Amino acid sequence: MIQNSSGSAPYIYVSTRLRVRKAKLLPPEEYQRMLNMSLPEIIRLIGETEYQKEVDELGASFEGIDLIETALSWNLAKEFRNVIEIAPGSLKEFTKAYLRRWDIYNVLTILRGKMQGVAPHKIKEVLIPASSLDRFALDRLVAEESNERIIDALKSEKIYKVLISEYPDALASGSFARMENELYKDMYKEFLTIARRGVKGGNQFLKYVQLDIDITNIKTLFRLRQDGFEEDARSMIIQGGTFTPDEIQQMNQMGSQNEVIDALIARIRAKPLLSVLEDFRGEKPYYEVDIGLTKTQIEQMERLSKINPFSIHPILVYLEKKKYEVLNLRALARGKESKLPSDIIRKYLVV
Amino acid sequence: MALKDIKPTRSELINIKKKIKLSQNGYKILKMKRDGLILEFFKVLGQAKDSRGALLVKYARAQEMMAIANTVEGSIKVKAAALSVQEKPDITLRNKNVMGVVVPKIDSNKVRKGIADRGYGILGTSPVMDEVATSFEELVEAIIESAEIETTMKRLLNEIEGTKRRVNALEFKVIPELSEARDFIKMRLDEMEREELFRLKRIKARNES
Repeated sequence: MIQNSSGSAPYIYVSTRLRVRKAKLLPPEEYQRMLNMSLPEIIRLIGETEYQKEVDELGASFEGIDLIETALSWNLAKEFRNVIEIAPGSLKEFTKAYLRRWDIYNVLTILRGKMQGVAPHKIKEVLIPASSLDRFALDRLVAEESNERIIDALKSEKIYKVLISEYPDALASGSFARMENELYKDMYKEFLTIARRGVKGGNQFLKYVQLDIDITNIKTLFRLRQDGFEEDARSMIIQGGTFTPDEIQQMNQMGSQNEVIDALIARIRAKPLLSVLEDFRGEKPYYEVDIGLTKTQIEQMERLSKINPFSIHPILVYLEKKKYEVLNLRALARGKESKLPSDIIRKYLVV
Repeated sequence: MALKDIKPTRSELINIKKKIKLSQNGYKILKMKRDGLILEFFKVLGQAKDSRGALLVKYARAQEMMAIANTVEGSIKVKAAALSVQEKPDITLRNKNVMGVVVPKIDSNKVRKGIADRGYGILGTSPVMDEVATSFEELVEAIIESAEIETTMKRLLNEIEGTKRRVNALEFKVIPELSEARDFIKMRLDEMEREELFRLKRIKARNES
């Protein structure tokens, strides 16, 4: 149930606390240092930071890269669940909604893992119980015999509706692509419903949701164009942003990249996004476009958190930055393990 | 063919002469075939070098992209995406004839897939997944192209070897032996003719005396 906070004190408290936590995240120069380190050095350094507790706790069960990956996932899940606990009133609901993507990620990982006969302990290692499905719930799902039983066990969850309607088709086609897209589209639909319900702070949450939808749709558009996809792309577009699926479809049919960028710029108001889109006029590799858009989204969220210092924005900025810290550390460790050159690893970091 | 087994008769000489002619014709044709095959082989060799070079480049790229995808997305997610692909490439094997050598002609389609046919969701994955999928599709195409060219090259090489053996056998064994046999029969026939002439002269001399 949504609780409207009676005063601004809890909002100030949570926003300040998360701003402090955000300040404790690894600075960009730390990644630069880590790029020049060897894998054991990176593992040791991660063990000396905020992740020390998890590294110590899991040290007996895992080692090397597995230890780091699991410790990072555990820390991320713990941190996210803690934010849900401390968030007051409607902020709690917004935070829970934002974190629902982790439920989708976890359930899809379990379904795919089960379908491909991946060992349960291997599936458990990559799950991140950062949302409504906690570690015990996920363990129970992993222990289920079949995917049908897993879906049945999710009856009380919001993703059940999409799962039950899309799973038969996914099973018949052997591909979870459509189901995956529908789950994320349904998640954004729910975001919009919550944000427009008229609760305190809903407008601020709506700004984030629209920004997220716009960035995701622009990324999808560039990705489709990169692939030369000329069919109907509307089913892959999320509704509720600046652009409708029909408009994105039209842009996908346009002849040149410049035309698309002109069409996007004509409608977008956020200045950082405008400048990053201008940068994409040249022949840039697509991953640079994607990472550029992600960085712009975080910058824009940071800006919104400064405009609305006691709203959902400081929470979302912290959650997003924390997520990318974990992904960056994981990429660094895995990249070093795969002996990728530092220059290549650097290109894929969101710093 | 041992000389002692040869019957020194005129009909045998005619036969051997026919065989020599046939062998010489065969030798000429096989030599021309060998030279033609060698020319064709060098053409294919150039293509094979190019395709093997491209294959190695694409293999290295695919390996690098796989390492990047594992780095960015995690191995389970990459494996899940890879196993989501349902439609397998269609490969048709036909034969074509290069100077009498049957070589394969491999046609393939559905190797390159669109983003919507790869089986993973676009909203839950990063573009690295597209890049790794594309790099592996390109690698499969390069493997198919290389398989066709390299098999052609191997078959041409085998045929060249076989033809060379036949040419050498004709040049150094069959034709010299037949020529030797022809010479032997000629010599024997001449000798027999001389003996006959001598015998006739002796009979004539005995009758006159």
